[in-house]
Amino acid sequence: MEDILNYSLADFQYNDNPDVLAPPEEFETWINDPRINYCFSFFEQQLLRTPKTTTEILSNLDHKKRKVINLTSYNYLGLCSHPEVIQAAHEALDQYGLGASGAPLLSGTFDLHVKFSKMLADFKQKEDCLLFSSGLSGNLGAIQGILRKGDIFILDEKCHKSLVDGGTLSGAKMLFFEHNNIESLNRMLEKSKGRRTLVAVEGVYSMDGDLVKLKEIVEACDQYRAAIYIDEAHSTLMFGAHGRGVAEHFGLEHKMGVTFGTFSKSFGGVGGFICTNAKLTRYLKCYSSPYHFSCAPSPVIVAGLIKALEVATRDSTLRDKLWENVNYLKKNLSDLKLDLGNTESHVIPIIIGSSGEKLFQMATEIQKRGLFLQPVDFPAVPAQSRRFRISVSSQLTKAEMDEACNIIEDVVVKGLKM
Amino acid sequence: MDKEKIYAVIKKHMLENLEDLNESDIEPQKSMKDFGANSLDIIEVVSCSMRELNIKIPRSELADINTIDELADKFIAGAAAGGINVK
Repeated sequence: MEDILNYSLADFQYNDNPDVLAPPEEFETWINDPRINYCFSFFEQQLLRTPKTTTEILSNLDHKKRKVINLTSYNYLGLCSHPEVIQAAHEALDQYGLGASGAPLLSGTFDLHVKFSKMLADFKQKEDCLLFSSGLSGNLGAIQGILRKGDIFILDEKCHKSLVDGGTLSGAKMLFFEHNNIESLNRMLEKSKGRRTLVAVEGVYSMDGDLVKLKEIVEACDQYRAAIYIDEAHSTLMFGAHGRGVAEHFGLEHKMGVTFGTFSKSFGGVGGFICTNAKLTRYLKCYSSPYHFSCAPSPVIVAGLIKALEVATRDSTLRDKLWENVNYLKKNLSDLKLDLGNTESHVIPIIIGSSGEKLFQMATEIQKRGLFLQPVDFPAVPAQSRRFRISVSSQLTKAEMDEACNIIEDVVVKGLKM
Repeated sequence: MDKEKIYAVIKKHMLENLEDLNESDIEPQKSMKDFGANSLDIIEVVSCSMRELNIKIPRSELADINTIDELADKFIAGAAAGGINVK
């Protein structure tokens, strides 16, 4: 019984239960163990208010409502609840109703979708744009639509599951290179010579907060004539002088074959998009299943997103405030001698180590003290570097950050010394 | 459990899952990566092999394994421990 804690979600993908509608028997045994059940109680905790920097949750730990400082939501720029965004969504609800009531090609395209696509294409300096109803379906649909059996899809090993699933669905041969390792990428490119090759990277890697080594990757891909697909889910509206993302930050936007973004993070809504050349966009409208066969994004959401893009790009106020907060928090956390990995962004890991038990003990104490800071366990991160992950928001006040650091010092710093 | 049998099972699943691989090319002292396997291929080979051999070892304990031979040894240890022992 002792080794039940050594198992994780990585172990139950295969299901050989004779009853096709039942999960694996060992999974049931594992997940119903009180110790595992306790770890899972951190998932799906109910938020009772907007995911602002101070919000309220219904805690799964003791079933009590608890006011918390929120370091977990992706509401990086506070646009989820920005008054202008809410107003725009309200107006669209009155004018268009709740949903699009159709796939884009038949009846789901509204004037709002056309307007927003054009705004995004201009913003990302590409010819055209395709909107998706979710971020995951955007990556999955783009890759599945672009690649075919016989093609090569090279991914950084830390790329998101949506890219991996898109690759699987496409039938292309997938090769993974070691994270940000150019020698490893070169080996994969060498294997791919003479075949249609797409290389996927992320602007900001979501579990570590480090940036793609874009300059070196562009040089390698140029040498082998491979195209680049960049996922800017965690960087759009935040990086670059105009907020266009990490590719702008490095001055390499013109080298990106496809740029992807999500609306569920800095935009404060839900959905995804890609920007690329007009011919490929036209083709993908017909062959990217999540676009072709999904209902179009809700006009209410799209109206809110249009306003969110306007607010975030009318000046650099929100970005400037975000980086001010990132610098303030990083300095305070560094002063506490915490292991923040190689973060270069608003995603800041606090690496605890290999003990899952310690991680969840700390997580419990943190939440009871009034901080919403979720634990990240294996297999989402390597087993030796379990962690907490901070998502910094431009809306955090100094008082909120100071209190969060107090709690982290009391619980994490002291806990690591025990 | 017989190491040869374990090795044969791993080899069978490698041949089923990896492109352009000949049985005679497989060397136990090498990693599956040396034969073109990506991380998804390795999960497929390991999971199918464990299922066929009726053993279960936590994935977290497989992270440091570098060669096919080391994997076979780990399977032997897992089988000796009584196979799946989460119950």
